[in-house]
Amino acid sequence: MEDLVRIRDLSVRFYTYEGVVQAIEHMDLDIRKGETLGIVGETGSGKTMTAMAILRLIPYPGKIESGSIIFTESGLRGEVDLLALSEDRMRSLRGNKMSMVFQEPSAALNPVFTIGDQISEVYLLHRRHELGYRAMQQVEGLLADGKGNPLAGLRRPFWRWQRRLYCKIAQESHPLEPRIVARIPFFNRLLWRLRDEAELLTVNILRDVEIPDPARVAKEYPHELSGGMKQRAVIAMALACSPKLLIADEPTTSLDVTIQAQILELFRRIKVEKGASVLYITHNLGVAAEICDRVAVMYAGRLCEVAGVEEIFSNPLHPYTRALLDAIPKPGKEPQPIPGTLADQFSPPPGCHFHPRCPNAMPICNQEVPELKEVSKDHLVACHLF
Amino acid sequence: MELRAYIVRRLLLLIPVLFGISLLIFGITMLFSPIERASLYVSDPKQLRDLASIIQTYGLDQPFWSQYGTWLGQVFQGNLGWSKVVSMPVWNAIWNFLPATLELAIFAAPVIIFSGIFLGTKAAAQKDKPLDHATRVGAIIGWSLPNFWLGLILLMVFYGALSGLLPPGRLSIGMDAVVNSAEFARYTHINTLDAILNWRWDVFLDALRHLILPVITLSVTNVAFIMRLMRSSMLESLGKGYVLTARAKGLDEKTVVNKHARRNALIPVITISGYLFAALAGGAVITETIFNYKGIGWWAWQSASRLDIPSVLGFALFSAVLFVLVNLIVDILYTRVDPRVRLGGGIQ
Ligand SMILES: Nc1ncnc2c1ncn2[C@@H]1O[C@H](COP(=O)(O)OP(=O)(O)OP(=O)(O)O)[C@@H](O)[C@H]1O
Ligand code: SF4
Ligand SMILES: [Mg+2]
Repeated sequence: MEDLVRIRDLSVRFYTYEGVVQAIEHMDLDIRKGETLGIVGETGSGKTMTAMAILRLIPYPGKIESGSIIFTESGLRGEVDLLALSEDRMRSLRGNKMSMVFQEPSAALNPVFTIGDQISEVYLLHRRHELGYRAMQQVEGLLADGKGNPLAGLRRPFWRWQRRLYCKIAQESHPLEPRIVARIPFFNRLLWRLRDEAELLTVNILRDVEIPDPARVAKEYPHELSGGMKQRAVIAMALACSPKLLIADEPTTSLDVTIQAQILELFRRIKVEKGASVLYITHNLGVAAEICDRVAVMYAGRLCEVAGVEEIFSNPLHPYTRALLDAIPKPGKEPQPIPGTLADQFSPPPGCHFHPRCPNAMPICNQEVPELKEVSKDHLVACHLF
Repeated sequence: MELRAYIVRRLLLLIPVLFGISLLIFGITMLFSPIERASLYVSDPKQLRDLASIIQTYGLDQPFWSQYGTWLGQVFQGNLGWSKVVSMPVWNAIWNFLPATLELAIFAAPVIIFSGIFLGTKAAAQKDKPLDHATRVGAIIGWSLPNFWLGLILLMVFYGALSGLLPPGRLSIGMDAVVNSAEFARYTHINTLDAILNWRWDVFLDALRHLILPVITLSVTNVAFIMRLMRSSMLESLGKGYVLTARAKGLDEKTVVNKHARRNALIPVITISGYLFAALAGGAVITETIFNYKGIGWWAWQSASRLDIPSVLGFALFSAVLFVLVNLIVDILYTRVDPRVRLGGGIQ
């Protein structure tokens, strides 16, 4: 299968007052077209920062130190290295070709704007030409219908002006006249059809994520919706422009169990219907088993193991993966918590970061960093045992 | 809650507030002995012998409740007493001086609030960059400058050194005559507004010339306050999840800051701006006095320094009513900015 994203030698560091945190160390990871790739790991292992690095939204005081992130379907010419793009180009991809769903839907939605406004915003930003074209067609219809109608005659000049504005929006990338008009109070109403068209698309995408009565929900504020509905709205916002890559950062963690199942079901459907690749971040291997095609296991900023989901569960190789599997509660078997404590983020153990907690540790393990190697087809492990 | 019911409820709440305030201030005046208070009625030292009769006439030796009751009875009849310093009833004095103070507040408040919001937003968006440091230093200087000192320095420079460029007072003598003449209609007694309505640009410019220095004096100290509040509110807002969502949508930094973050950050600033306006409209005592700008603050200062008790009481009641009204407006405004807020119901 072809790759959508190729992460090579990615390193992310945080320069804090207490010290330097190596959040991601020399990561190599591919996301394939149309697959759901799970990233699994304990808290602080660098899952969220991997996602943020792809969107190039690493928060201050973090920095991407090195590496490249090749994105093959940017819509720009050929394959691009996201880390080398200008900020303008990068912005044109965010929310458009790649988008993200966050853990806390109530935090992710802006409390002072309606759901509809927040989703329309994405269309008005990334689908301007299309909206302009549709609005222009509307006005042309009006102009054609109004022929010979004396009442419509009065409004013709306005319609003509609207047609010119929408035409410019549909064709030019930085049209001057519509931008000026948009800034003048009262005159900016000439552009209302643009918002109207965006609203239509918004209602459609809300219906797509199975929100009942989408037209009403679009007019509501986030606090008027339940947690599950909010998360659906956030997912709708992420799906608005049919992204090639959808990143979901623990999207069900803050929801209760029945809602979790519904949201997982929604993700499964999205993958099939929209053909998007999904990067699904979770600390729960059980969830990963339900919706992922492949799973990448992370520990303290490094990848431990990457393999197909069945392979991971039937033939886990890395001692950390095995420990994670043993920690899942199963009927008839006591869950085994992983012994020891998380690696210190400022000074992780040398060699393999996992060695203080590893039952199989060998002398070499605290000396040398294990490389990520392909031990069988599509099964990569970073451990001195292999 | 329905808007009208809410307003009525809040206005009813005003009654106990006013009672409390009047009791408090009246109580303080009772700390003076009857003789001390009686002597305030006397302007001529030769009349001092008549103190006993004054005490008798005004019942100054009566018990607290009886005096308070008498005063309250008068207040209910719309009689707030006599303001000696300006020789008119207190009620008239308030109406007389209010337009000047309102005019000053109407010019100063927007300058303070909008520049505070603007600078606070910039400082937060450029945290720890030169602009942030510059505004911080500016805030400390502005904050620690005493009003009266700044006012005097400004007067020395713009009135003294620059030969009367920006004079104190409300209007120049010539313009005062115009304003008080028969053909100039005083609709509001707010000079700039009346000047526009009368189409007298000379009066307008003259009034504006007198407003500049007081507005600057009030702004320098108060902008710092709004700005720092806006900055911290903005920083909090910028760390919220919806800002990250906005960036992940592909919005540019300007839209993220000015639309998504600022709209939320404004919520606490609105409350403080309301108080600021109430404080200004209740009379900027020091500034009005320094610039001889005859508004409520000037009148209050004159009254307080001569222990004119009815005037001080009237001023306090007026300020209380003003605060409650502004508070009410702020609360209603809140529901427009933050959809989570319900009238009388806090945040959902
Ligand atoms: N703003 C920050 N300042 C300093 N260090 C940070 C910051 N954000 C993340 N880090 C560090 O980066 C590392 C990786 O963090 P990340 O958020 O990617 O973890 P995670 O795997 O998503 O964990 P969780 O399951 O808790 O979400 C952590 O060790 C953390 O200390
Ligand atoms: S490299 Fe060594 S310490 Fe690390 S997981 Fe493998 S065996 Fe354990
Ligand atoms: Mg995380």
